[in-house]
Amino acid sequence: MLHVLIIGGGGTGGALAHDLTLRGFRVTLVEQGGLMSGTSGRHHGLLHSGARYALHDVAVARECYRENQILRWLTPQAIEPNDGLFVALGDEDMDHWDRFLRRCRAAGIPVREIGPARALALEPELTRGIKGAVQVPDATMDAWRLPLHFFATAQANGASILTFKRVERIVRRNGCVTGAEVEDLRSGRTRMLSADLVVNAAGPWAGKVAALAGIDVPVRPGPGVMVSVSGRRCNMVINRLHPAGEGDILVPQRNLTIIGTTIWLADDPDQVRHPAGHLEKLKALGARLMPELAGAPVHAVWSASRPLLNEADMGDPMRTSRGFACIDHQERDGLEGMISLIGGKATTLRAMAEEAADMVCRKSGHAAACTTTTTPLLPYRRMMQSAEDWI
Amino acid sequence: MSVQTIDFRILRFKPGRIDPPQYQRFPVAKAPMTTVLDGLEEIRLTQDPTLMYRHCCHHASCGTCACTINGTPALACTTRIADLQTDTVTLEPLAHLPCLGDLAVDMRPFFKEMDPGWANIRHNEETDKNRIPQGIDHLMRLENCIECGCCTTVCPLMPGAEGFMGPAVLSAVHNEIRNRPANREKLLQKAADPHGAPMCRRHLACSRVCPSKVYPARHIADLQRGIAGRTGREQAIKGKDPEL
Repeated sequence: MLHVLIIGGGGTGGALAHDLTLRGFRVTLVEQGGLMSGTSGRHHGLLHSGARYALHDVAVARECYRENQILRWLTPQAIEPNDGLFVALGDEDMDHWDRFLRRCRAAGIPVREIGPARALALEPELTRGIKGAVQVPDATMDAWRLPLHFFATAQANGASILTFKRVERIVRRNGCVTGAEVEDLRSGRTRMLSADLVVNAAGPWAGKVAALAGIDVPVRPGPGVMVSVSGRRCNMVINRLHPAGEGDILVPQRNLTIIGTTIWLADDPDQVRHPAGHLEKLKALGARLMPELAGAPVHAVWSASRPLLNEADMGDPMRTSRGFACIDHQERDGLEGMISLIGGKATTLRAMAEEAADMVCRKSGHAAACTTTTTPLLPYRRMMQSAEDWI
Repeated sequence: MSVQTIDFRILRFKPGRIDPPQYQRFPVAKAPMTTVLDGLEEIRLTQDPTLMYRHCCHHASCGTCACTINGTPALACTTRIADLQTDTVTLEPLAHLPCLGDLAVDMRPFFKEMDPGWANIRHNEETDKNRIPQGIDHLMRLENCIECGCCTTVCPLMPGAEGFMGPAVLSAVHNEIRNRPANREKLLQKAADPHGAPMCRRHLACSRVCPSKVYPARHIADLQRGIAGRTGREQAIKGKDPEL
């Protein structure tokens, strides 16, 4: 049985571990901290319908919608499927209305036009004087429990999921990656994990992992700040209907409302402190959608690094593609035995895993089709109850 | 401007290496919004990369970062250092759970009595403030309980009263009765176990520490009433028909 070592215990790594075990591979996954301790857990929890990307990237929008529908079926216990509203605040937003509808429809996203009165009846805390809203199948996800379903199922199917294991070195022999040396943060011992293939699924840390193999990957950390305020201000996800910008998403979840997000480009995915002024900016921008947010008590402020596909001209980072790429380092760098999975977003975790697993199959000559769209997942609590050696 | 710092005093444990556990101090930069989790991240990223603790969402939705903060179980991500009003922040792993390393504990005992299939999502009633959008069957909510373990570790019956199910499991049983009424009898029977709701002594510590407003003690009280009603009904039925 071919052995695949996955580096990175976020949503993508979990979905890939699941996909590969279903296709008959032996899988080991290592994560430097706890599961989802990087970017996956820290996002705002918006299960995209794709509408947010409709105006500037129909392909990503279409992919989000498809995955949104699949995840609703696979992980219903981790999703509040209450839809979302794209709200036009003024005439400048109305200028985008027709094109927004057209592009959503082109991406296959169902849209329902709603008048201002109905929108305010649905979401009474929206600002008065809105021009209209479009209902789309956005949803709120539990960013910890949704990916945990994939880990639980992968582990039950034989994958070895190892947390608090830091990759110290990627071992190369004669132009071929043969495994990795991994330090166990608990015992302090380093051990060699041999593998037929190594997949770098470290999200914005993918550059650091690739550097251990002496290669570069086109990933750029794009951190953003999020703010949660106490009190649930809406049932549905609220987006401003305009080209995606900062502070124009409100994601309700349990008893909180999350205002997302800002963006800048960084060299290091690890943020010790987020820059000053972002909290105030987010509250002010959020208040344009819901005035009460201006005075709402702040519950938490945090930042997370998006794993942006690094293109030649990053320009406006908000316009950067949220698509993903699967890189075969044999083709790109002449290094056999290693793949990097770069970019993407939480909503497309399963699709990213499918593409990476397809590549693993091609490279290893092991023909097996993807079955993750139709294979039910185990409940997430199974992961927390498992007697395996993960922690 | 000089940066204000505060000492984190962390109970370190690595089996066979820092064993028995011992406290270690780390200075952490302190700003008005700095949380205990921010401090842990700063220590891991700038002082000791081997520090073990769990964290995920950073806004009290996942429940992974619970630990004992100045003697009380709480979430590291929403506990602000300034609010603690102490010179030192003392951090220990959650009590009564096996420590895996530093602040990371084995949560298996916490989840042992929970059925993995119990719902994590529930219907929310339509009200004037909660209108159901067209095309949606029900407004849905993720359960408030984030399974962090704070309630269970603060309960004075844990772990002294051998086998007490604990407030988290009993709250989950009660939620499940609401979510799946068809299973009510079976679930009430589970709650009525001598190690279940009858063992609770209404200390209410669970409700005080819950970071997610679950108020487990209320759920347990409701279960106790449900159990009493069920027993009363059984006795009434038995009184009428001795054959039953």
